[in-house]
Formats: sequence, C-alpha cells, structure tokens
Amino acid sequence: MRAASKAFLIFLALLAGAELIVRVFFARNMAGRFDYGYHPTAGFVEQADGVVRLERSGGRRFFPQAFTRERPADTFRIFVIGDSVARGTSVASSYAGQLAELLNARGLKAEAFNLSLPGFGARRKHLVLEQALRYQPSLVILHMNGSNEFEDEREWRRREEFRDWHPRNWLMKSLVIRRLYEMKTEKVYWEWLPASVRNQRAVSDADAEVQAAFNADTTRRWDELVRRQTAAGVELARQRGAKILLLTQARSEKDADGRPRLNDHGLDAMVATSRGDGVGVLSMKEVLRPLDWPPLFADGAHLRPNGHRVLAEALARELVAKGLVPAPK
Amino acid sequence: MSFTSWSYPLFLAAVVLLYWRLPLRGRMGLLLVASYGFYGVWDVRFLALLLTSTCIDYYCGRAIAGERAPLKQVFTAAILPFLWLLGCSVFQTSCVKPLEPLVIAALFPVLFTALYEMLWRKPEAAQRRAFLLLSIVTNLVVLAFFKYFNFFAGSLLALAEQLGFAPGWTLPTIILPVAISFYTFQSIAYSVDIYRGKAQPARDLLTFAAYLSFFPQLVAGPIERPNDLLPQFTKAAEFAWEHIHRGLRLLLVGAFKKIFVADNCALLANHVFNGQTELNAPWALLGVVAFAFQIYGDFSGYTDLARGAARLLGIHLNPNFRFPYFARGPSDFWARWHITLSAWFRDYVYIPLGGNRAGTTRTLGNLWITMVLAGLWHGASGIFILWGAFHAALLTLYRLVPWLGKLEQAEQAAPVVSSPSPPIVGEGRSEGQATFAVALMFAFTLVGWAIFRAPNLAVLGNWFAAFVNWSPVADAWGKPALWLALHSVPLLLLQLATLPARDEVEFGHWPWAARGLVFVILFMGITSSVVSEQEFIYFQF
Repeated sequence: MRAASKAFLIFLALLAGAELIVRVFFARNMAGRFDYGYHPTAGFVEQADGVVRLERSGGRRFFPQAFTRERPADTFRIFVIGDSVARGTSVASSYAGQLAELLNARGLKAEAFNLSLPGFGARRKHLVLEQALRYQPSLVILHMNGSNEFEDEREWRRREEFRDWHPRNWLMKSLVIRRLYEMKTEKVYWEWLPASVRNQRAVSDADAEVQAAFNADTTRRWDELVRRQTAAGVELARQRGAKILLLTQARSEKDADGRPRLNDHGLDAMVATSRGDGVGVLSMKEVLRPLDWPPLFADGAHLRPNGHRVLAEALARELVAKGLVPAPK
Repeated sequence: MSFTSWSYPLFLAAVVLLYWRLPLRGRMGLLLVASYGFYGVWDVRFLALLLTSTCIDYYCGRAIAGERAPLKQVFTAAILPFLWLLGCSVFQTSCVKPLEPLVIAALFPVLFTALYEMLWRKPEAAQRRAFLLLSIVTNLVVLAFFKYFNFFAGSLLALAEQLGFAPGWTLPTIILPVAISFYTFQSIAYSVDIYRGKAQPARDLLTFAAYLSFFPQLVAGPIERPNDLLPQFTKAAEFAWEHIHRGLRLLLVGAFKKIFVADNCALLANHVFNGQTELNAPWALLGVVAFAFQIYGDFSGYTDLARGAARLLGIHLNPNFRFPYFARGPSDFWARWHITLSAWFRDYVYIPLGGNRAGTTRTLGNLWITMVLAGLWHGASGIFILWGAFHAALLTLYRLVPWLGKLEQAEQAAPVVSSPSPPIVGEGRSEGQATFAVALMFAFTLVGWAIFRAPNLAVLGNWFAAFVNWSPVADAWGKPALWLALHSVPLLLLQLATLPARDEVEFGHWPWAARGLVFVILFMGITSSVVSEQEFIYFQF
C-alpha cells in the first residue's frame, strides 16, 4: 500500500486548489478581511479614475457608495460614522441619506455618505474617521453609542488570534476555511438561532474571554475608552479642518413601573464639554423626548425610517442654527 | 487533555512518530509516559489512583494465574502511588490537601504487601478466589467512594432529616476522577477473565500499566477485554500504511461527529433542558432530537477518535456503536449502543446473576438489576437510575408484548449485545414493518434521552408537560429546526452510505474520487463549526 491513497491526494488537491483560487482571484476582496474592522484602509477602495468605492471592512460591508477623492468645490460633503443604529436599513432611509435630501431641498448642494457599520464601537469608528478625513469632508457626524465596546474588544481579539502563531489558529490561516467559518457564523448561526439559544455560550475563545472579563470594572474602563476615543476623534477632525457633530444615542427602555423611558446611558454628560468651536452636539434623547417617540423605535436601540427622518430634520435644524453648514445660496 | 483541544493533534503526531521508531519495550515505555501525561493534564493527583489500581490488578491477576511475585517487588510497586503523591505535594504545595490521601497512600504498600502474603497462604482454589475478590472489591470500593459516596451519604442524611434525626454532618467534597468508571471496569474484566481462564495475565508491570492507561481509550472507552487488547501490547505491530490510512479516516469521522454534529446540536439541547426556557411542544421535540444527535455524535465521535489514535499505533480497538438509531427494539438498541459497556454488563452482571436461564420472572429481575446498575454507572443521581429503569421497562415490554417482540425479532435472549454485527435495517422482513419498528424504537429512545438529559425531575416534568402546549410561547422554532437538520442530516447520510459495509467509518467500496470529496466535506464541516471547544459528555462518567 502506498503512503498516500488516491482519495487522500484528491482531498489535498481540492483543499489546495480552493485555497489557491481564493488567494489568486479574490485576494483584493480579502484585503483586510481578517482584521475585523481594524485595518486602517479596509473598505475604502480608491480607483484609478479618482473615485473611492466603499466595500467591505472586516466581516462587515459598507452600503455600496462611491464618491470622488477630491471633494467638488461647491459641494457640502457629510460623512456619518456610526454603528447599526446610524446605518439603518439603507442609505436613503437612514438619517444620513435623509439629511442630504433635506439640505438639498434647502438649496444647499450636499452629499451625505453613510459610513456606519454594525457593531462598530469607539475604536473602530475612529479608524473609519481617520480614513474618512482623507477625503475632505465638510462635516463628520459621529454617532456615539456606548454599547459596542464589547464587540470592538471581541473583534480585536479575533484579529489578534488570526495573526497569532499559536497552533490553535493554524487552520484559520487558510482563507477558504476562515471565510467558510465566518460565512456560517454570519449567515446561519446569527440568522437561524434565536438570541436565547446563542447567548448560552461563547462562540469563540475570544468571545469567551471577553464574556468572562465582563463586569462593572470593564464597563467603566470601556466608558472611559469611549470618552478618550471621542476626544481624540474631535481633535483629529479639528487638525484636519473638518467640522464634527457628535450625535449621542438614546435607547428605548422601560422604567421600574414598566413605563417607556429614554436613556442616554451617560453619553450626553460625557460629550457636554466637547461642544465648542467647530464641534456640535446633538442629543437624541433631547430630540425625541417632546415627541411620541416609542413608535419611532424598531427595538430598544434601532430606529424605524420615520425615526431616522426625525433625526435628519433635527440635524438639519442644528446644523443651520450652529452655523455648521453654509447658508443656502 | 481533550481529543478536540489544539494540543492533542501535536501530541498524537509526536507519539506516533516516536512509537514506530522504537522496539517493543520502548513502545510500552512511550505509551506509559504519553498516557500518564495525557491523563495528568486533567489532574496529576489522580495518577496515584491509577497507579494503585494498576498495582493491585497486576499482582492479583498474576496471583489468580498462580504466579507469585517476590514480596520486595510487590512492595516496591505498591509504594509508587505514595511516592507520586509525595512528589506532587513537594512540587506543588496545593496539590495534596488535606493530608489524608498521603497517609492512606503511605499505608497502602504495607497493607497490600501483608494482604498479598496472607492470601498466598490459603489453599489454591480459595487463594485464586480471594485474589479475584481483592481485585474486584478494591476497584468497586474506589469507584463507589469517588463516584457514589456523596450521593448515597447525602440521600441517607436527607432521609434521616425527614425522619426527624438531624446529625448536622457536612459531607466532604469529593472530586470525581476522570475515567475512573472506565478503567475500573476494564480492570475487573481483566481479573475475572483470568479467573475464568479466558485470558492470560500480563507478564510485566510496564506492559500492564501501559495497557490499563492506554491514552486513546483511557478516558471514555471502549472498555476492552484483556484478550482483545493485551496481546497487542505483547507483540510489536508491524508498520503498515493501512494503519495510518484507517487511523486518519477514523479521526476525521470522529472529529466530524463531535465538532460538527454534537457540539452544534448541543446548543439546542442545552437550551431546552436548561430549566429556564419556556417550552412548547415543537421546542421540546426539537431539544430532545438535538440531544439524541448530540450524545450520539459526542460519544461515537469520541470512540472513533480513540480508535483512530490507537490505529495510528497499529492497535485495534473494538467498535462501540453500530447505527444505534436504526435499532428495531431495545435489545437491538443495546447491541448497537455503547457495545462494550453492554457486553460488560452482560458478561459480568447479567449472566452471573443467572441470565435468562431460570424462568421469566427471574430473567426479568436480572434484567432490571442489570439495567438499573447500568444507569447508575452513568452517574450518581436518581435521574440515571430512572433512565436505567426506563430501559429495563422497555426490555420487559418487548418481552411481554408478543407483537412488539415480533417487531423486534430479537435474535438474542440476553438484553445486551451478543451479536457482533446486528442485521441492518429491513433485512429479512418487509421494509414497512422494519421502518415502523425503527421509528417506534427511536421514539422510545427519545423519551429515554429526555430522562438522561434532564438535570432533575422538575425539568423532566416540564419537558413532558410541553407536549400539551402548542401555543407559540417560545421562540420561533422553524429556523432552529433548520439548524438541527443542517447538523444531523449529513451524519444520517454518512450512516446510510456506510450501512452496507456495517461499519460506520467504512467507505472503502466507494470510488476514490468520491471518497476524496467526502473527506473534503467532512473536513470543511469540522472547520466551519461555529461552537468553540466543548468537553465530551462521557468524560463526566
């Protein structure tokens, strides 16, 4: 009997062939794929014709959008950077798209791009901000939410795992295997199993480590991280000459008596001192409070399109009032 | 060390590479060191227990065969557990606390050597029986203490409190050593088979120690008989690529069953039986079917991994499973499920009790004793006793109800395995009848698994009650059912494909290209598994 059977050889050949095909033909698509949102330029594809296309950053994909590398001189360019709340279900129905529509209706030539990705916390949003500032935004709206630091941390550890030499990660160095694993996680695991089933146990080592370390101290550390990272973002925007507006998230919760209430989880207080020259602040809680707000929420955090509309209108008013947009011609 | 940990493949590769380069004695030394290292990853202290069992059974086995060892040699071997524990306490101060185990280990060589000498003074027939008893009793005492002491003592205390007598005692916390249920049973089989003249004792301590601690099957079986395994340790196997091919195939299928099937099905089973989930009928059914695939994938996967690792070393281990969910009745089920344990209970409990030789009532009594003990073997809890009793009731039902008996068409009289290769589905009867028999037995098996999986009677009661609740109180079950199908149907397809060969991992009759493709699919299934490393269910037994 030979050392390697024909079946074993075909097994090896199929695996090697698949890996080769992925590496040769899908390499660009894979660039930064396993940095889990921590790749500095992942998702921004600069084309030879001067157009920047938005693609995938880590495991998440930006809404497909494109803009010129150089901002047209007469255009007011807005980038909205946030998480799944700011992302909405489409660019057009999100407050980014609706804000552009409102500003254009007021006679301002504006373009707004939704650079929000689900689960992005302060650290990864800062990387998107750094990249976005290269494309001459007139205004950056940074949607603040303190609830994604867990995911930021977990994704950081996954990135470190992927780069690690440790034998437990060897198999995952294969792009085919890694992609298949992630595809199953995203398209099957997350889609088919209810949260009550998923929450029983950690999906990965990184997940388990982060879950194990989750306590009041960790939460305090992460709150501090959000504060520092936001301050750094504001400073960076200032240095690059871009105006920035901090939009603080409010969640729909219930109080002890079961009545609905809006909770900003301390974000409003955190950014109160940031307001200043070239920096605007808008509290979602303050915007929604006078309204019949519960129907605007799809769940505890995410807004329906009419909720996005309310935010877009409030943003438009705030931008005009604080002089963050030029007066319409 | 777990078979599914990242370090195990490296460990196994190193052992295999070294093993084939060594002469027989070297191989035994390597296996012993590797096995003790493998076990020591869990808890080094309990290696002293394994050493004790090795020492007792080796010298008892030889004594039963009429071979007397010098007292100095017996004492030297018997002092090893003490030296090991002493070493542990020196190098790891927290290792041996409290000191009682150390004191007992220090007394053991003196007591054992004295007893050994005393028993040799008895007449030959009594002497052989005494050594057999010594081996059986010490193994059972060790097992009873570590596994059942807290259960029985706790139950007695609770009963005493109910009767108004509250002594206020606090029971000690006793850690259950991994693998104890398996190696004690293998040791008992060794001594009994020598006594019955069915096996020869090991001729040297090194070989016996390597045999008893053989790492692939140490932790969760298969429970091997001395005649099957020991001769493979006394004769050096010739290297052949067949060993490697077969071993790798077993490892691949085993990992697929464990990582792809069991661990993913566990998500649903754990959810349903966690005692906090509000259940309705679809979820209750989903949970128990998921558990059926989880436990089968988990345990048969473990067995395949064990057999694969052993085969890489040129050693054959017995199969433990043969398409159990295709069983047509309870006798047939036990001829296909955990075969080596079934056979153990048949040969060392059921038949010595009288088997089926003394009328229906006595046979049923023997059967109930055997099955309740088999349930208790799985764990010190009322729920496992109930599970054993449930299977005893099933066996009784199939014996007493003629049409059920006919449906099963049991070929064996014993309640446990007697045929090494049970017939495949539909063989010798109409397809419809066979399918009905299989479906009915699978339904009974599911009820058994619900009992087995429920952590307590309250959860079990909720599970049964869920079947009258069809309201949508729980999460939607459609997509979770797809999840279950995704992780169980490939296993069923694999089983159907290997059914003609009557071997769960045998697809040698397929074209080589198809085999290669199946290897890729299995491999991709393993690597795409979403759930992180989970321990094997049978490690707790």
